[in-house]
Amino acid sequence: MNTLVLASELSGRVVVTLGGEAVAQIKDVVFDGPAGRITGFTLSGRGLLAGPLKQSLRFSHVHAIGPSAVMIVSQSLFEDRDAVVGRGEAGRGRVLGAPVLTEEGTDIGTVADVVVETGSSGRVVGFEIAANDNLDPEHRKVFVPRGQSLAVSGEALVIPAQAQRFVADDLPSFAAQAEAFLTHMRQR
Amino acid sequence: MLFTQAFGLPVITADDATTVGKVADLTVDAHNATVAAVRLSGASDRAGVLAWTAVEAVGPDAVIVRSRVTAEQDQDRLPAHHRALGSRVLTEHGAEHGTVRDIAFDPVSGRVLTLYTALGEITGARLMGLGSYATVVRAEPV
Repeated sequence: MNTLVLASELSGRVVVTLGGEAVAQIKDVVFDGPAGRITGFTLSGRGLLAGPLKQSLRFSHVHAIGPSAVMIVSQSLFEDRDAVVGRGEAGRGRVLGAPVLTEEGTDIGTVADVVVETGSSGRVVGFEIAANDNLDPEHRKVFVPRGQSLAVSGEALVIPAQAQRFVADDLPSFAAQAEAFLTHMRQR
Repeated sequence: MLFTQAFGLPVITADDATTVGKVADLTVDAHNATVAAVRLSGASDRAGVLAWTAVEAVGPDAVIVRSRVTAEQDQDRLPAHHRALGSRVLTEHGAEHGTVRDIAFDPVSGRVLTLYTALGEITGARLMGLGSYATVVRAEPV
């Protein structure tokens, strides 16, 4: 499995062509909720004072998400902003803060961030959740794997009941937990 | 030969043995992993850039070009110059790999042989791009 990254950490990451030119930076991540993957990115110009760009980057045109940069083949693949934003079922802004319910109907907290795989898959692996009393009396932020089918809307995120048993406190240990959860679900 | 060894060498014409300048930098064609041009300092006129095709030989003490006339040809087809030494190195997967400290090249063919970075050597064949932000290299085959 590729290294994991929080979607919020992708904001501000530089977009570099394979020709070695920095052409933009990531502004926001747009998700396709039902498909459980990144649809694309909205972009801003480079530098402190640069504003948002009218263009966006569809995920299929991303060569790789790396720890230091998002690599693309060419700047000519940028599209009109609406091409990406309009298609996303659930923008990140609406996923964040949404209440998290288990399949059994227990409210376990709210979505704090989205965990995605680096590399070229753009797959949503799970969520960082600001836990409430039902999950963690100390209200810590924990990582919960997503179910095979992802049920997310602007109103709520529903996760499988078993996912609660594969919770992790930090990203590195979450990678192993998410893997274990997938294996567990396949065996059922 | 290393880029740093070539820098500062006098560039001399073969036909009349005059100096046209000194090597200030070498322009890399990342697509073909070759040296595309020699940039000169102290050049008298517009011949500030020599296409590699005009270079007769790169020796330990001097760079020889055929003549002033051939030196001024082929300048339109050269790739844009980006300074390679000191450039940040990124793999195609978006991971940083130090900066380019020096480059070994074949003085006869102009082929880029090895990039030396603080984090190790990268063969010239892995070169994908060289721009104003970074030098991009292919990921190491696993």
